[in-house]
Amino acid sequence: MPTEFNMGASKKSQEELALEAWSLAMSQMLEAGQKALRSGGMLSELVDDDVQIAEAEYEVVFEIDKVRLFKYAPTGKPNKAIAPVVICYGLFGRQSMIDLQEDRSLVRNMLAAGITVYVVDWGNPTRADQFLNFDDYVDLYLGSCMEFAVSENNNNPVNMFGICEGGTFAVMLAATRPELFAGLALAITPVDFHGDQENFWLGEGFLNTWIGNLDQHDIDLLIETYGMLPGAMTGAIFSSLTPINSMTKYNIGIANLDGNKDAILNFLRMEKWIADRPDHPGELARQWLNGLYRENQLVKGEFELLGEKVDLAKITCPVLNIYAHQDHIIPVSCSKALGKFIPKERYQEIGFPGGHVGVFVSRKAQGVVSGGLIEWLEASDKKPEKKAKPKAKSE
Amino acid sequence: MSNDKSNEGFEALATMWQQSQEAFVNAQKEVGEQFQKSLNQMAGTAKPDTSDPIAAWQNLIKAWVPAWDTGPTPSVNWPGDLDFRKGHQAFFELLDPQKWTQYAPEQLRVMLERIAHGPQFADLVMPQQQMANAWRETLDYQQAASDMSKVMQKAWTAAYETYSQSYALEDLQSGEMNEALNAWLKSANEALLEAQGSSDFLDAQKRMIRASTEIRARQRDMAETWSDAWQMPTRTEVDDLTRTVHQLRRELRELKREVANLNSTGK
Repeated sequence: MPTEFNMGASKKSQEELALEAWSLAMSQMLEAGQKALRSGGMLSELVDDDVQIAEAEYEVVFEIDKVRLFKYAPTGKPNKAIAPVVICYGLFGRQSMIDLQEDRSLVRNMLAAGITVYVVDWGNPTRADQFLNFDDYVDLYLGSCMEFAVSENNNNPVNMFGICEGGTFAVMLAATRPELFAGLALAITPVDFHGDQENFWLGEGFLNTWIGNLDQHDIDLLIETYGMLPGAMTGAIFSSLTPINSMTKYNIGIANLDGNKDAILNFLRMEKWIADRPDHPGELARQWLNGLYRENQLVKGEFELLGEKVDLAKITCPVLNIYAHQDHIIPVSCSKALGKFIPKERYQEIGFPGGHVGVFVSRKAQGVVSGGLIEWLEASDKKPEKKAKPKAKSE
Repeated sequence: MSNDKSNEGFEALATMWQQSQEAFVNAQKEVGEQFQKSLNQMAGTAKPDTSDPIAAWQNLIKAWVPAWDTGPTPSVNWPGDLDFRKGHQAFFELLDPQKWTQYAPEQLRVMLERIAHGPQFADLVMPQQQMANAWRETLDYQQAASDMSKVMQKAWTAAYETYSQSYALEDLQSGEMNEALNAWLKSANEALLEAQGSSDFLDAQKRMIRASTEIRARQRDMAETWSDAWQMPTRTEVDDLTRTVHQLRRELRELKREVANLNSTGK
């Protein structure tokens, strides 16, 4: 590109231009250095106790094996028109994401709207749990949590909000135990695990591509060797999905926070959440990777729970499906596929203009997602025509 | 949270990312040191020394741009002796897993194959076979890691090429350092994402996962041989017990459910 430098401009002109550029560069570098120093200074003042997440008060109301059900009481005027909501996260992260901090908390937003909230905590599976599979997680654990919430709701069905892998669990339970459900809301939930791969944007759907490229034998060997799908392993994979962000977040990223305490605490809360990844029980992971990601059994109607095929058309409650347009982990097409199985009059979508985690932690999400969910719960509140009939308690 | 730190393949991947990050930190440290030096030189003066602004500017570029040129011939034509390639080499060496994985000559692999796949004799203990397998699998892993590093190196090279085309040195003359850095990160991000969706990457990743898992499985076999010799329970035995307990609990649950259903229907 020709410039005044190499086009033979006058010496004075060269000097002036160089000085201007020098000054600008120095000022930008000085600013960057000052930001880094301020951030470093703030980081040195903070200790782990300053970084708290999931502080909304709850009580443990139900337990089965390592699984616990938390109950949160409404902080706003109780809205008896809305059935309680059971929130189910997956095992690739912790449910604390939905209450990361006071002003970015799905749970608190719902409590303020007068809704009773239950949250499933999967605990920390170890190798002693390696043979737990979808039968256990969906029918036994999640089913039992829902039965408990239903029993507390005078045997009336309740709502479920499933997130990510937890959404897939919720979809399966809704298809096999529809009597427990007043409504099913989902966020960033994979249903079609192949998705529209031909139209993925750059960086979208690496998980689908990478896992799909492995042989069944590779997955089996991995599970049989480790017994589990270690959280450290899934964490490394998630980091590699966004390479430059992973490389720069602890240097350029932190410097750009400019010593702002609130921003740094936000960052550290997210780090705390990321660092806490449970292991997946081996058999559960084997089904997730081989049966769902590789073979896409759920949308094909081939996935089995307790020996019976899961038919998504058997979901009878209203469904809200929230997806994120810039979600690099769960492509939009993987989530939207659920719409093919639910009649239009019972199916709604919210497309969030953000990424996978932004659905819960961004400021925008507090209005779009929390607000949209609460509106949907209010609008679609169903007066149950009949009482739910939970299965006999299994344990 | 998992405490399992023994996932070799994934640790290697994580190490690669970590090294990349260290490279960034080091690059910035160098910049910071040069920057500080420049500031010290400026101490007591309101303006930088403008007696030779071109030289001052060149020094600044040297400090800030660790290595945005590559190959034997710099693609940009800037007067003076700018050793762009020195920082570049340091940067890429830090990213290069070949520096920490050396794969053995092919002859060694062939020799190990012969030992590992040689005939077995029922009444002869042949620990060398197990060792040969372990060694060969280690070589496989090192080869896989090396192949993966080549794919990633190719991606970084592509990133630089894109950057040098889209953001030439002339643009740096504006003094917009933030723009220069953002342009580099954008180029690098796109190149890495492109690479991570390529068939070369997928093949390398698959081989790396397989090889690292096979090593882990072999370690388990060898540990079990030791455990057995010392009358210790093996991983396989513990897993078998876990499976048995799991199956018994499942049967118990089903029985309880059936009994409860029978009671509720009054049969």
